[in-house]
Amino acid sequence: MKTYGIYKRQGLSLYDLTAIICIAFLLYGVIATAKRWSGDLTPSAPISLSLKELPLYAVYSLFRASIAYILSFIFAIVVGYAAAKNKMAEKIILPLLDIGQSLPVLGFLPGLVLGLIALFPKNNFGLELACIIMIFTSQTWNMCFSFYSSVKAVPESIQEMGTIVGLSRIQRLFKIELPYSATGLAWNSLVSMAGGWFFLTVCEAFTLENKNFRLPGLGSYMAIAIENGNTQAIFFGIVAMLAVIILMDFVIWRPIIAWTSKFQLDNSSESSSTEIPFMSLLLKESPVVQELLNFLKNIFSRLGFYSSFFNKKYKPLKIAQQYKSSPKKIYLIKVILISILCVLSFTVVGKIYALLITLTKREISLIFIGSFYTFLRVFAALAIASLWTIPIGIFIGSSPKWTRIFQPIIQIIASFPAPMIFPLVLIILQFFGIRMGAGACFLMLIGVQWYLLFNVLAGAIGISHQLRDSFRLMGVSKKQTWLKLYLPSIFPSLVTGWIAAAGSAWNASIVAEYIQSQGTTLSTLGLGALISDATAKANYGVLTASLLLMIGIVIITNRLLWQPLLQFSENRFPMEQR
Amino acid sequence: MINPLLELKDISHSFLLNSGQNIKVLQNIQLTIVPNEILVILGPSGSGKSTILRILAGLLAPTYGKVFSHEKILQTANPEVSMVFQNFALLPWLTAWENIYIGLDSSALSKEEKELRTKKIITMVGLGGFEEAYPRELSGGMKQKVGLARALVMQRPILFLDEPFSALDVLTAESLRREVLNVWKKKEASLQSLVLVTHNIHEAALMGGRIIVLGTNPGHIRLNIKNDLPYPRDEKSSAFKTLVENIHDIITEVIIPDTPEWVPPALAPHSVEAVPPVNINEILGLLELVASNNGRVDAFALAQKLMKDSVQILLMAKAAELLDLVDTPKNSIVLTEVGKKLVQGDSNEKKQIIQNALMQLKLTQILLEKIEGNPNLSLSYESGAELVHELLPNENSEKVLDTMIQWCRYGEVFNYNDNTKALYKDIPEKNT
Repeated sequence: MKTYGIYKRQGLSLYDLTAIICIAFLLYGVIATAKRWSGDLTPSAPISLSLKELPLYAVYSLFRASIAYILSFIFAIVVGYAAAKNKMAEKIILPLLDIGQSLPVLGFLPGLVLGLIALFPKNNFGLELACIIMIFTSQTWNMCFSFYSSVKAVPESIQEMGTIVGLSRIQRLFKIELPYSATGLAWNSLVSMAGGWFFLTVCEAFTLENKNFRLPGLGSYMAIAIENGNTQAIFFGIVAMLAVIILMDFVIWRPIIAWTSKFQLDNSSESSSTEIPFMSLLLKESPVVQELLNFLKNIFSRLGFYSSFFNKKYKPLKIAQQYKSSPKKIYLIKVILISILCVLSFTVVGKIYALLITLTKREISLIFIGSFYTFLRVFAALAIASLWTIPIGIFIGSSPKWTRIFQPIIQIIASFPAPMIFPLVLIILQFFGIRMGAGACFLMLIGVQWYLLFNVLAGAIGISHQLRDSFRLMGVSKKQTWLKLYLPSIFPSLVTGWIAAAGSAWNASIVAEYIQSQGTTLSTLGLGALISDATAKANYGVLTASLLLMIGIVIITNRLLWQPLLQFSENRFPMEQR
Repeated sequence: MINPLLELKDISHSFLLNSGQNIKVLQNIQLTIVPNEILVILGPSGSGKSTILRILAGLLAPTYGKVFSHEKILQTANPEVSMVFQNFALLPWLTAWENIYIGLDSSALSKEEKELRTKKIITMVGLGGFEEAYPRELSGGMKQKVGLARALVMQRPILFLDEPFSALDVLTAESLRREVLNVWKKKEASLQSLVLVTHNIHEAALMGGRIIVLGTNPGHIRLNIKNDLPYPRDEKSSAFKTLVENIHDIITEVIIPDTPEWVPPALAPHSVEAVPPVNINEILGLLELVASNNGRVDAFALAQKLMKDSVQILLMAKAAELLDLVDTPKNSIVLTEVGKKLVQGDSNEKKQIIQNALMQLKLTQILLEKIEGNPNLSLSYESGAELVHELLPNENSEKVLDTMIQWCRYGEVFNYNDNTKALYKDIPEKNT
């Protein structure tokens, strides 16, 4: 994997052609998006089911998801950096990230939409922004954590080297900290993007205060197609979504992951696939791309961006003060922070209280019974998912051949936004006489099982070959091999998978327990259904109470169940001993 | 007197451990570095020698005391210092060339000049042909050459070497030492002075113009030896041998003093001995070796024979002496009667002897007392560490406790459960 020379060729090559198509597509997307954003406010955009419109819808959705992802990435770098570099910031940011991670994002849609539309009453800017913020809040947290822990894990001697050599903070970020976190960020981006599609499709079509909101995109296209029972449109909607996901996978994620493998720390990764994705070659071999890059570089250096930003003159960093931070200053900052917090929480608590006292006794009991049912559904979905993903994951993961075949497929299926086909699945379930209560559980299962499969697979790939060989030599029975080797080996990954799956199962309950299709609303008793129902009917008391309860349950199960389990698995079955 | 390049005045330093324990690692250090010298800071692990280096480099602010660079107080990372690290500190995704070039990243030189300098240094340290190699393709010695080149390319007047050869095999280390000496002697890359941190006596004698010997608990300067032997030094010469032996005697005295330091009884009510961090199997191995040598060996000769660090051998000897298995008159290690019995015994008898020896240690007795004082015959790791900290405030209590657990598990004095993080004794069964 050495550098590839730039071949000077005459005429246009295949690479050039691809590059030009990509650039043209990008321009088209930017213009279409800009037009849509600045257009007159249309809360319920008319959706045409004709095939001709489908590519444009795909572009809208793709750009929404991409803008949200870029925002998440920038946010993750800024926040993760602050938390890793400043002790004070770390103490504030980490708990906030933890809460952010457990937010049932969808419950905040109404407030956000109404607020932003009020801010931008003339055009679609507010509506689009609301959708993007929803996607953003679903994808940024794991990236923040990933970057934070990577920066923290940079060896001390490397940091010391940076100080002695005299790297500025920016140089250090680009030369040391970003490369160290590249692998983690790339994989987390992949997961985030998959989660992003999920929320995108939900946020493109929803009901609020008995009004239908629709943003033109694949999600709304599918919603309308299902509503009208248009089989052809349903089919092509799914195809278009899959096409977008597969295209993204080939054009963006694979090259990025191949590129980041360069930054992997362990030296044994040489044997990993040496196949160079088309797009990485494209970047290096197309004169058009090279010209473009040079052009951009020139502009930047003209602007003095490079010289001031990257070639900052040597200025040694101040000595790290271990004990000398003045207690007075810290005390003052603490007082200010606490007083701001107090004022904020007083107003918020006041508002919430005003909403909560409007609740009737019946509503309160509904909320508690509903959360019990949703709780059961979440864990039932986890249990069923575990039942099939553990054996299948281990089977695929322990054979390099099957892994090679299945991993990319699973990656794509996992990225497919399940809510898009929820109504469809429900119709099929009803055909078999399965009622909505169990059906919602099944829908949640569809949404979350991939997290589990992914993690079990990763764990199974890591099972030590030496151990497996020695078990075979000793003639250990199949059952004992599973109990003594396979399950303990994948357990830490399994727990990580459970945590991710449980979090998104709670979120998914909001769309899985309450489904609008063909003019009717199907719902069952549950916390998610209550949130959706309250959103549609603008019952803010119930909405607030249900949301608070859901956040509370997620945080409490995290603290009391998942965190201890994670700690236990890391102590009992540590990774490095394999 | 020549103006010093760098100076430490009354430096003391403490570290706050994660357990909340405050450990003093340096006490009252005075030190100057003058132009054109090789200063060696020599000491066993735990003497704070790397901490001194980091304070001199401006990477760490001392808890107490001042650092002067050219008689001005140093407040930033020292711009006159470059450094070679024990574990190389290379970026794995950069080639050898790029790893060296990073040393010039923040300088104001033109690109051409930077590349010229890098090229020159690569030829000088003998990395020609390896410019495009990634660290994973390089051997340890080559990696450290890259680390050295990166330090030299900056052309700073002072070069710090933080145990630069300890991660390398013996032969590679030897050739790199000569290389560094050559660079310094020729005054290439505007290099004036070297500061080398090491625990290797031979290395100190070979390279040092001035050797600072550190003592432990907390780290302090024990001795300042001038070494005027001309470079290149002949290791076979009697003058060199005498020097090595002298330093060795001093180090031995630091680790296993013949006359125990007098401690006021009020400060040490139990006179608890800290156990050195040595594996019990190493102690048993040492005893076997001594026995096969007619029950007596010279610690330094043994270290050389095993190509092991003499400090490590001395720590093993100290541990064995604590258990009354050997005596250590001067530099020798001599088996005691108990030690002889142990070597001849089978594995059960060995266990029994170690158990008896452990029971003689004050620290074992105190820990056992606590364990047995608890109704379910157990003691949490945390309270164990706290207890050790009270008894031995200057030691890293977790290290001491870990060693105790390891020894006592072997001797079946008490046991430890890593899941519950508790030291415990089996509840005796009534029928047996």
